[in-house]
Amino acid sequence: MKDFAEPLARLIDELKRLPGIGQKSAQRIAFHLQRASREDAERLARALIEVKDKIRLCSVCNNLTELDPCGFCSDPTRAADVLCVVESPYNVVAIEKTREYHGLYHVLHGALSPLQGIGPEQLKLKSLLERLKSGKIREIIVATNPNVEGEATAIYLSKLIKPLGIKVTRIAMGIPVGSELEFADEITMLKALEGRREI
Amino acid sequence: MPLRETEALVLRTYRLGEADKIVSLFTRRMGRLRAVASGASRPKSRYGSALEPMSYIRLWIFERENRDLLRINSAEIIESFFDMQKDYRQQVATQYVAEAAELFLPEREVNERAFRLILVVLRALKRTGEATRPLLYFNYWLLRLGGVLPDLESCGNCGRALGDEAGYYGEGSEQLLCANCRRAAPYQVRATTRGLERDFRGLSLDAWISAGPAAPECKELRRFLEEVVESHIGKKLVTRSLLAGDT
Repeated sequence: MKDFAEPLARLIDELKRLPGIGQKSAQRIAFHLQRASREDAERLARALIEVKDKIRLCSVCNNLTELDPCGFCSDPTRAADVLCVVESPYNVVAIEKTREYHGLYHVLHGALSPLQGIGPEQLKLKSLLERLKSGKIREIIVATNPNVEGEATAIYLSKLIKPLGIKVTRIAMGIPVGSELEFADEITMLKALEGRREI
Repeated sequence: MPLRETEALVLRTYRLGEADKIVSLFTRRMGRLRAVASGASRPKSRYGSALEPMSYIRLWIFERENRDLLRINSAEIIESFFDMQKDYRQQVATQYVAEAAELFLPEREVNERAFRLILVVLRALKRTGEATRPLLYFNYWLLRLGGVLPDLESCGNCGRALGDEAGYYGEGSEQLLCANCRRAAPYQVRATTRGLERDFRGLSLDAWISAGPAAPECKELRRFLEEVVESHIGKKLVTRSLLAGDT
């Protein structure tokens, strides 16, 4: 005899395919959904389908969007001469939370990672270079992750873009706010010293 | 649940859940293994940059009975190879070493010589910026230490000495073949190329590199040895195709 009725087993199997969800979590969510009202379940199902039907990549910046071009690219109040290059759409959200950046974005959808078979051809670099040809961009802020892959991507971009006469800057790396210097390792400390600024 | 201390090289990491990582390590005292680093992706992670690929670290690790995955308690950097991987070509070469080591070296088998080999190769990559000779040296000694280095001077099929003739190989080859046995093997390793082995076999990598510029045949021999590494692993190395285009 099977542990679960067929439809419930199928739901658990589907949930288990989601990132970070194991057997136990999948069972818990499946039982929760089974107990939920039909309206709740339908709302969730509709939301899933809508995401698949309506969300696409912005033809300008490659961010996830419902309307093309996206809200950032079509907003006339944003500075059109500064472009922040990020690895993924999540990163756009993190930068927007600061409310300090008012320029445009470009999403690469990855970083150079030979171990994952990601080379320059797999990144959205062609569309970035197309945007730069317009001559409107004055500065590129490279906001890739502060790890080996992100750093390699940043240096690669800088070699690609600097010959075009555009200023390329990198977000600062170093000691996180709220931590203590004694716990910083030498690479983090070195990056913090390299990125020091006058006050 | 004993806490053990060992030196280790970080081969690669995989994301686990929201902020954890599974770290593939080649340790000095416990061989190759995988361990969980809780919260390693968080900005205030206690591991800092110690778990970046190819960091040479000192590691404190919990081993639990009947569990494949160990748990990392803490780590500190002994030597970092972070900055050299900023260069894409260096990154590809470094990660080739990581991928080949991860797939070639057996799990939980202590191998001090392989550990020192990887360190020597990483230091040469960092110091010289050259990839061809360090990677040739790595492939050669990885195969030799594993006991699977093919005889470069005779045909692997009929056993005839190759002498001044070229040896041939194709995809999935584990040895060189003579002109009579080659059938469809399309790639060749010339006699002069095979002669390179004599140049570096008795030398340290540093001494070989210091002796002069890389011979043009180095790439030819390196590619053959990469093919042998792949055929022993039984899998295509993802980094090898990127290596072919860049270095």
